[in-house]
Amino acid sequence: MEIITIEKKKKGLEVLSNKEDGKLQTHMNACVHCGLCANSCVYYNAMPEARFIPATKVELVSSIYRRYQTFSGKFFPSLVGARSLDDEAANEMVDLLFGACTLCGRCVTHCSIGVDISYVVKKGREMLSAMDMIPETLQSTIDAALESGNNMSIPKEEFVETLEWLEEDLQFEVNDDEAKIHLDEEGKDILYTLNPREPKFFPLSISAMAKVFHAAKESWTLSTKMYDITNYAYYSGNYKEAAVITQRLYDEVERLGAKSCVLAECGHGSRAFRWEGPNYLKKTYPFDVFTSVELLASYIREGRLKVDPAKITQKVSLHDPCNLARSGGIWKEQRYILNACVSDFVEMTPHGNDNICCGGGGGQLAMSEYNDRRMAIGKIKADQIKASGAEIIATPCHNCVDQLTQLNVTYKLGIKIMTLGEIVADAIVLENEESN
Amino acid sequence: MPTLEIENKVFEVDGDGFLSQPEIWNDEVASLIAKYDGIEEMSEKHWAIVKIIRRNYEEKGMAPMIRTICKETGIRLREIYELFPLGPARGACRVAGLPKPDGCV
Repeated sequence: MEIITIEKKKKGLEVLSNKEDGKLQTHMNACVHCGLCANSCVYYNAMPEARFIPATKVELVSSIYRRYQTFSGKFFPSLVGARSLDDEAANEMVDLLFGACTLCGRCVTHCSIGVDISYVVKKGREMLSAMDMIPETLQSTIDAALESGNNMSIPKEEFVETLEWLEEDLQFEVNDDEAKIHLDEEGKDILYTLNPREPKFFPLSISAMAKVFHAAKESWTLSTKMYDITNYAYYSGNYKEAAVITQRLYDEVERLGAKSCVLAECGHGSRAFRWEGPNYLKKTYPFDVFTSVELLASYIREGRLKVDPAKITQKVSLHDPCNLARSGGIWKEQRYILNACVSDFVEMTPHGNDNICCGGGGGQLAMSEYNDRRMAIGKIKADQIKASGAEIIATPCHNCVDQLTQLNVTYKLGIKIMTLGEIVADAIVLENEESN
Repeated sequence: MPTLEIENKVFEVDGDGFLSQPEIWNDEVASLIAKYDGIEEMSEKHWAIVKIIRRNYEEKGMAPMIRTICKETGIRLREIYELFPLGPARGACRVAGLPKPDGCV
């Protein structure tokens, strides 16, 4: 067990001390322990122990809040269940707030009084961050991003070589030597972003989007300086680091003078840049920001892309990333896209706003120490996928893709996992195909 | 420290099953990890991929780009995913004895 110095504890407690933060005070004091959240949590469902109930995680943080921030907690702690921030409490926080929550927010939608449980968990993570207790496995991905400009430390020349290689593929695929993957071009309508795992290991999704942009005759570019949509500091609760990463992308959109920034299929990255980012930076963006899911849907809706659902005949189901669907409210667009691009689309149960987390969110994929738990909670998603009978699972989130890939092997699902961009790219009818 | 036991041999690994001491890696270790992942027999193509990854790691301290793997081995991208169903990171890099790469993998 890690021993925590008095100085560290002081820093952790400062996170709870903001008297002007109405949300903090409301949500720290609101849980009535009804327990309705229990069955909404993948951890509690997979491992039915009381400590995994979301309300327990809320209580862990709010009991410390009461101890230091309320009159009764300061003077009669045992009467109000107030708890000191000691070594045991801090280590328990690491285990439950980092190691047993994907921040999926399903419990929040099921809460009888609307406690923002994810917010409370994130406050706890923020405390641990102030106390320098972020799991090393998570911090190393943040450090890579801060030090190298992308979270996989890809050197610039290797990134450029990869895109040139993909451009050759694109020209072959669309049968057009003029087809381009634009790099660092100024004044385009769209600056597109990537999750570094795409150029590093999984470039099919880049090829797919390049094909889509080509077919839609889009004015677009990638940046070779700052293309990384991820922001793992959103997970760690270190919002100063989150702001540094956000500012870099903000600066790059401005530098290249793009009208809008389009976010790659990345749930937490979309959330961190589009919805949390203005709060990190304490300013609004002077450019538009939207997700590639919305963009793909608009291309089809406006007739900029011609797609043929007969090109994809396998049974396809959809996994909704928590950050896009539940937190971001983007869940109709995916369905619109799939209904247009595949001939046999089936839903999982439940789905959309009530979808079940794949188990890889909240930074879990990075934290090796919790791999066994991650696979245990993922079984719920694996069972859902089996029940759907789908051969292809589409999901607009690279983090989910990776978790589903591991679930696919672990639970022998025999499925193919694709991004929405890949689905759309396969369904496109190119102009030169039509004339043939 | 978690361990991974394959055919009575025990390896120290991280929670994701990546070797804690990449320097103990050799061909036998690679075959055992592959077997654990359901790759019964390492084919020539498996070896080609693993050796490129290992070489890059020893020279540069990190896994190569997928482009490098394709270029050096002549194996098509989609075939790499078929050869290592867990993907280049959790699959091939783990068999090559690398520590877990950072990022969404």
